Amino acid sequence: MTDTFAKATPATAPPASNPASPRRARGGFRRVRSIIKHALLILCVLVMLYPVLWMVVSSLRPNDVIFRDPSLLLNDLETGNYAEGWNAFADPFSVYLVNSSIVVLGAILGNLVSCSMAAYAFARLEFTAKRWWFAIMLLTIMLPIHVIIVPQYVLFAQLGWVNTFLPLIVPKLLATDAFFVFLMVQFIRGVPIELDEAARIDGAGHPRIFAQIILPLMVPALATTAIFTFIWTWNDFFSQLIYLTDPDIYTVPLALRAFVDAQAGTNWGAALAMSVVSLVPIFLVFLFGQRFLLRGIATTGGK
Amino acid sequence: MQRRLIFKGLGASAVALPGLAACGTGGGGDVELSDEPVTIRMTWWGADTRAELTDQAIAAFQKEHPNITVKGEFKDWAGYWDALATTTAANDSPDVIQMDELYLASYGDRGTLLDLADTSDFLDTSGFEAATLETGKIDGTQYAIPIGAGMLASVVNADLFAQYGVELPDDTTWTWDDYAAIANELTEKSGGVINGTGLTGGTDAGSIRYWARLHGNELYGENGDVTLDPAVLAALWEYSLALIESGGAETAAETVEGQSAGLEGSSIATGKIAMTIAYNTQITPLLAASGADLRLIQLPGAVETTANFIKPSMYWAVSSQSEHPAEAATLIDFLVNHEAAADILGTERGIPANPAMREHVATDLDEGEQLAVDYLESATVGPAVVVTPNGGSGFDPTCQRYSQEVLFGERTPQDAAEAFIEELKTEIDAAA
Amino acid sequence: MSATSELHNLGQGGARAKRQNKTAFLFLLPWFLGLFVITIGPMLASLILSFTDYNLLQPAEFNGLENFSRMLGDERLHQSLGVTFTYVFVSVPVQLGLALGLAIVLDRGVRGLAFYRSMFYLPSLLGASVAIAVLWRMVFGADGLFNDGLALFGIEGRGWISEPETALGTLITLNVWTFGSPMVIFLAGLRQIPRMYYEAASVDGASRWRQFLSVTLPLLTPIIFFNLVLQIIHAFQSFTQAFIVSGGTGGPADSTLFYTLYLYQRGFGNFDMGYASALAWLLLLIVGAFTAINFWASKYWVFYND
Repeated sequence: MTDTFAKATPATAPPASNPASPRRARGGFRRVRSIIKHALLILCVLVMLYPVLWMVVSSLRPNDVIFRDPSLLLNDLETGNYAEGWNAFADPFSVYLVNSSIVVLGAILGNLVSCSMAAYAFARLEFTAKRWWFAIMLLTIMLPIHVIIVPQYVLFAQLGWVNTFLPLIVPKLLATDAFFVFLMVQFIRGVPIELDEAARIDGAGHPRIFAQIILPLMVPALATTAIFTFIWTWNDFFSQLIYLTDPDIYTVPLALRAFVDAQAGTNWGAALAMSVVSLVPIFLVFLFGQRFLLRGIATTGGK
Repeated sequence: MQRRLIFKGLGASAVALPGLAACGTGGGGDVELSDEPVTIRMTWWGADTRAELTDQAIAAFQKEHPNITVKGEFKDWAGYWDALATTTAANDSPDVIQMDELYLASYGDRGTLLDLADTSDFLDTSGFEAATLETGKIDGTQYAIPIGAGMLASVVNADLFAQYGVELPDDTTWTWDDYAAIANELTEKSGGVINGTGLTGGTDAGSIRYWARLHGNELYGENGDVTLDPAVLAALWEYSLALIESGGAETAAETVEGQSAGLEGSSIATGKIAMTIAYNTQITPLLAASGADLRLIQLPGAVETTANFIKPSMYWAVSSQSEHPAEAATLIDFLVNHEAAADILGTERGIPANPAMREHVATDLDEGEQLAVDYLESATVGPAVVVTPNGGSGFDPTCQRYSQEVLFGERTPQDAAEAFIEELKTEIDAAA
Repeated sequence: MSATSELHNLGQGGARAKRQNKTAFLFLLPWFLGLFVITIGPMLASLILSFTDYNLLQPAEFNGLENFSRMLGDERLHQSLGVTFTYVFVSVPVQLGLALGLAIVLDRGVRGLAFYRSMFYLPSLLGASVAIAVLWRMVFGADGLFNDGLALFGIEGRGWISEPETALGTLITLNVWTFGSPMVIFLAGLRQIPRMYYEAASVDGASRWRQFLSVTLPLLTPIIFFNLVLQIIHAFQSFTQAFIVSGGTGGPADSTLFYTLYLYQRGFGNFDMGYASALAWLLLLIVGAFTAINFWASKYWVFYND
């Protein structure tokens, strides 16, 4: 199946200039087009971000205004929500941010190491019943957590892991997030096999090919995995709810939900303020991390 | 090695899953306080204020009992029940459990709660009225101690009544017909800016119980079977439909939106309606969210009948899986019987069900709490309601679903009422 | 793939295949540990429980195929299947199309690329936040922004989020709104296409459109395929957003009753975990079938470089 395509794009091509550059006539036309494009993009951004902006604005409003005002205009500034939300529980909100960070970092590390190893085996090695193992791997992510949680809890309770971060981190170290294995398999298969072959001729074994050829080339996939693991773990509610019982090791999602009490009343201002606060780390990680999405073959492969 | 681990994992779940009910301390003889340091876990649902106050109460308790350490755990309502079911299933439930009327029988009937008669040496219930204690009993066994009391009330926004020149109702005589007329008048005089009322019930157990009693009917019979007459429920939904039709009540869409918005986003809090029905203890958050002159008055028909009832807002219970039932009971005793705890907890979990504590906290109430206490004292209280039977814990969502089908015209009230009651009976039979 | 295995066979013969088994086992060791220690046990437990009457609080009792025969007459199950299939088949194509389109636009050297990418991604970060419930009400409620927008054009709005006919639509919109996640994966995939291919194509005098068709699209198919599989599985398991927006009920009138939401209600709300486990295994069969079809079909449109 790949052979047909290989013909269409010969792998050994003479270096040429940037494909976007040959057209530079009609500069005025291009500028108009560019302005229109940006205007459209900015419009999209505004529509998309309205709810987020509303959340930020509302976190700065008094409680009795929040539900009455869908606009983004801020009449009276109420910064007290932040102080209130930060100190709402026995521990300051920073404790929950730190706890979440520990879980997230552990999960990212685990996923990066274990998933990339498994992905290399699936993408580059031949072994018995490979397709079946791959199918089993995908099957393991198709059951909803709600029916797994009770037997899983029994298991972790026997190990003495309840009320620690271990049930949230160790599974990631053992590549149970099959999505990322699959993602990395897809990326590795996009890496030209000729690079492997060249290394093999130089006498490299699989561990070295994996570490020195494949890993550097799949930085975008690793960055994607890291970012996704960050977001999914940061927002994951159910398993953290079940396994973390001591409020001192609560994470951000648990604290955020605990603001809401439909029967006895909710301090929405504080809840929204802390929602904004909890968005900041993920947003920063993304802003910083997205640089790595651009690495990989786009910059190194063409040399 | 791997094979052994599979077996270990599977074995663990296979053994523990069937093993649950038999565990626990069983008979009363061995319940006694330990001299050694003991750690017990206590869990509740609720928001930040409750967590703060409960932590203070725990600290006060630990001061009196230096060898007992209490680990408090708080969760949101939905997460609370998921976690409680999971930990109980795994034989690892907290010792002291905050319980709700909806779930009391589901847990009690299945042997996961301790018979509090076993711990009577440590938990004194003599200060409670018999009728109050009854609400914590399943088939005569005291599984839980009521913490607080609540009662359904009409909430009126006096500011809006004044603004549109409508007279406040006379709640000693008014009926549901009067209620509808006033709602229509409010909508008319406001020129449609507000609606007179929101939904007047039919989407939750409380309002249906009250309506049923007004019609000589009951939701559940003494032995926990469903006795609600479909025609009675259908009449309640027809009443709602008529009010929506006449404009006295908000549209079905607005009503449903309000249901999912919590107290702060509800229409009475945002000033879109002038009357509604709520529990008296909810007046405090409603006052804060609305900033208006909200008042609690008697429900239509309540004064001349004994249809209204005291609803235990929540309970304390001890897990039958607890290794330290005596310490757990001692903690509950402190929370419900000691003035030191009442001073801290106030009315946050509802107006204290223990009369002595109610009197004790009455001296120091804020505006909303005062309104709630005054209402409770002035209301005509009917007989206690039967506790929601085992299998009935899904009442409210099920009821909301059928009522929404009625409100959006997908089913006739009679048809929906029959189907709803049928489904409720099936669930309760399946659980028994 | 075929080409490489041929190469292996030619060069190394049988001995090599054996050695790869060992190497593969070492690379897969963490995953095998996870599978056999953590994953398989609870999965099998839930399979066994699906043949029992299990209320969580008391021992499970075998009841044979009763849970499965009960599914046939379960109207709410049928409703939830309808809701879920609608959701999968509408929201996945729209979301992926939007993500792919914008990824391609943004990949083409737009100035301020990082800014746009971050902004488009921001909604995906909100995830399971409780704030979503409030946000969505402010947008699609009867007094919400969307109706204000419609009023500008003289169109009368409605309570989008609370009426059974439109509630599911708002949740689909909510999912599409988070198209930033697949977009990021697309962007990473686009960046991984070796530049030399473009260079070759441009030497051949191919237009940009032709380059897109003959270079970008084929080389991106593994990533498109991945996103498709991932989003379909996710959409079938969709839970959190419906749970938060409808307060766990799947309302109004079951119009947003997603499959897993129903399963959750049975398992935890009604203490009916035996039936919930059976539902979970039915879901596994459905999702598994869709994934298998996806993999089978991928032979015809996905190009791998190995």
